[in-house]
Amino acid sequence: MKEFSIPACVTLALALLIAVGSQTFLGPCVHDDGSFGACHWAGRMLMGVGALLAAQSLLALFARDHGRRAGLSLAMAPTALLGILTPGTIISLCGMATMRCRALMRPAMILLCVLALMAALTGWWIERRKAR
Amino acid sequence: MILRAEKLSKRYFRRTGQANHFYAVREVCLELHPGEVTVLMGRSGSGKTTLLHMLSGLLRPDEGSVWLGDAELYRLDDGVLSRLRNARIGVVPQGRSAIDSLTVWENILLPGLLYNGNERRLEAERWMDALGIAALRDARPAELSGGELRRMAIARALTQNPEVLLADEPTGDLDDENTIRALSALRDAAHGEGKAVLLVSHEEEARRYADRIYRMDGGKLTAL
Amino acid sequence: MKASQLPIKNLMRRPGRTAAMILLSALLALSVFGGSVVVRSLQSGLNSLEARLGADIIVLPAEAESKVSFKNLLLQGTAGAYYMDASALDRVREVEGVEIAAPQTFLASLKADCCSIKVQVIGVDPESDYVVKPWIEQSYARELGDMDLVVGCLVTADVGEIMRVYDQRCHVVARLARTGTGLDTAVYCTMDTMKALLAAAEAKGVSHKITSDGRERISAIYVKVRDGYDVDAVNSKLNGHVRKATAVRTRSMITGVSDSLAGISRTIALLVGVVWVMALAILLVAFAMMIHERRREFAVLRLLGTSRRGLSRLILSETALCSLLGGLAGIAAAAAVVFPFTTLIESRLGLPYLTPHAGAVLALAAGTLAATLVIGALAGGWAAYRLSRTDPGTTLREGA
Repeated sequence: MKEFSIPACVTLALALLIAVGSQTFLGPCVHDDGSFGACHWAGRMLMGVGALLAAQSLLALFARDHGRRAGLSLAMAPTALLGILTPGTIISLCGMATMRCRALMRPAMILLCVLALMAALTGWWIERRKAR
Repeated sequence: MILRAEKLSKRYFRRTGQANHFYAVREVCLELHPGEVTVLMGRSGSGKTTLLHMLSGLLRPDEGSVWLGDAELYRLDDGVLSRLRNARIGVVPQGRSAIDSLTVWENILLPGLLYNGNERRLEAERWMDALGIAALRDARPAELSGGELRRMAIARALTQNPEVLLADEPTGDLDDENTIRALSALRDAAHGEGKAVLLVSHEEEARRYADRIYRMDGGKLTAL
Repeated sequence: MKASQLPIKNLMRRPGRTAAMILLSALLALSVFGGSVVVRSLQSGLNSLEARLGADIIVLPAEAESKVSFKNLLLQGTAGAYYMDASALDRVREVEGVEIAAPQTFLASLKADCCSIKVQVIGVDPESDYVVKPWIEQSYARELGDMDLVVGCLVTADVGEIMRVYDQRCHVVARLARTGTGLDTAVYCTMDTMKALLAAAEAKGVSHKITSDGRERISAIYVKVRDGYDVDAVNSKLNGHVRKATAVRTRSMITGVSDSLAGISRTIALLVGVVWVMALAILLVAFAMMIHERRREFAVLRLLGTSRRGLSRLILSETALCSLLGGLAGIAAAAAVVFPFTTLIESRLGLPYLTPHAGAVLALAAGTLAATLVIGALAGGWAAYRLSRTDPGTTLREGA
């Protein structure tokens, strides 16, 4: 089977963006004095979520049969959900909504994770149909 | 007589010599009768296709008129003329005439679906069988050869079950066997079902199926 | 099969072409919806700022930076601390034409418990205040007690929480409605609480330029001019009468804001206009090319008995479907960018920015969708009109 799975490519791209973005241009607050708050750990967690999602996407991309791809796509959904819940719900962020972690990191990460969730479910739907 | 053309003329712009236009069709009078195959012969560029388009209500003549029964085609409103063409005139044009987004089967059923949703499945199956394209039912036009497309167009026109059938070089892309198939089908439609058939062709084979033969030359029509 | 399925079949037959059409419409909808939401948010932010200032004149300490600092507080929520002697309040009240004069005292907190940046604490006088009170009353009906705090909506301390300011335990009793201004990042307390906080700050050795003579200090006085008096005249009287203070007309302060807002709105409108014109031009060309490419197919449909009107309906159905899908996608994409990043946009623009209420947003979305459909219909209609002017016979000859 040499068919290319577009949803898996999309989740891979989003996963990389989550992993890299959460540590760089979409990352948590940086303080002048070098200290960091809870949002720093939310950023770390998001990096992990991104890496896990990337690994799942790669496995789905190289999986040989449609059933396995469907399963891997479905497994990405809870990972993406974890990413959605991480900033602010599972790990708290800074106390001012104007701060970088709340104004930038949280909405950006939630948006990316929602897109990843949608792509994962689309992939699951497509692969499941092909598997039948 | 069912279709009648009176003094039909069509000019086209062309910068040649002193005049800036030429007559593709000049003062042509023609009658098509039910149950008859009329063959129109002539070299290419003699005005056959232009005449056929004017007879089918697709090309407004510069002078003259076309009557289908009591109706003068070019005096009708576009909506009425279109409906009339759908119900009473079948046309097999030259070249490709398939709708690419539909299958062969859907293409053949399409005219019946446009107004009253009458699918005419039985007629479609019958003519597809007669023309040897029954197996191509679910194929897409892009997958068909020129000859197969041509036969599809003939089947579509016949399935439409019109009173008048106008076919422009219907055997152009066909091999000998399929030429005979197509011409037989058209003759059957005329002799068996009382349709008025006009065949535009430059092939001698067509003569054998004709009840009347005309020749066109320089836009003028002569009976043979 | 039904004849009405033809437009969908045509669109699905050429997914690339269809996707390009949808993408163009989406781009159009995205720019229009995103742009108009931002412009509307800026407008409602300005209205909210006017409503929140509520005063005709604001008297600030004469120091050069106090006016700039006050503006920064309003627009960006930057914490600032500047003071004048409380006697200025009496001097203000002496001026003829002053109806109400309400003092406020500012204090920039150090890192408070909840946050790692400075918070502006604003003390208001419950007796004379007419500016903050109506706003607080929207979310907290009772009088503010000692060490009670009301927080702006962007301060994420929950009601009932204890917030430490200079090691003083304060109770968060209410959260204010969003204003879209810098005031959303401030916290409010009574003057008595403020005195305690100022004393605590002094005790921690934080200099707020407060002299140790024990006299009361205030940061700003909100003046309401009595009806029938000229605000400008009162303003210049105040400038002459109150020493070491500057009286500023709020309108002049807002004018600056509304000027830059008008500038930004114009820029956005221009950008949206450019995108609109470009998308229209591209759509017109794209549809014209599509129709040209398919003219033989349309001529065949005419030959089979489709009327001019029927053909126009087919073309318009195709373009309307593309516009509808593109419009919805564009609006969704713009919403996904504009709404979650409201706070970011506000702080980057440095202007009051208040997202309009759901009804207004829905109206904007509906308007955008309608506009996208109109553009699609115009492009498709024009193409269909051009097509209807050629006899199908001519087209069939050309392409044979």
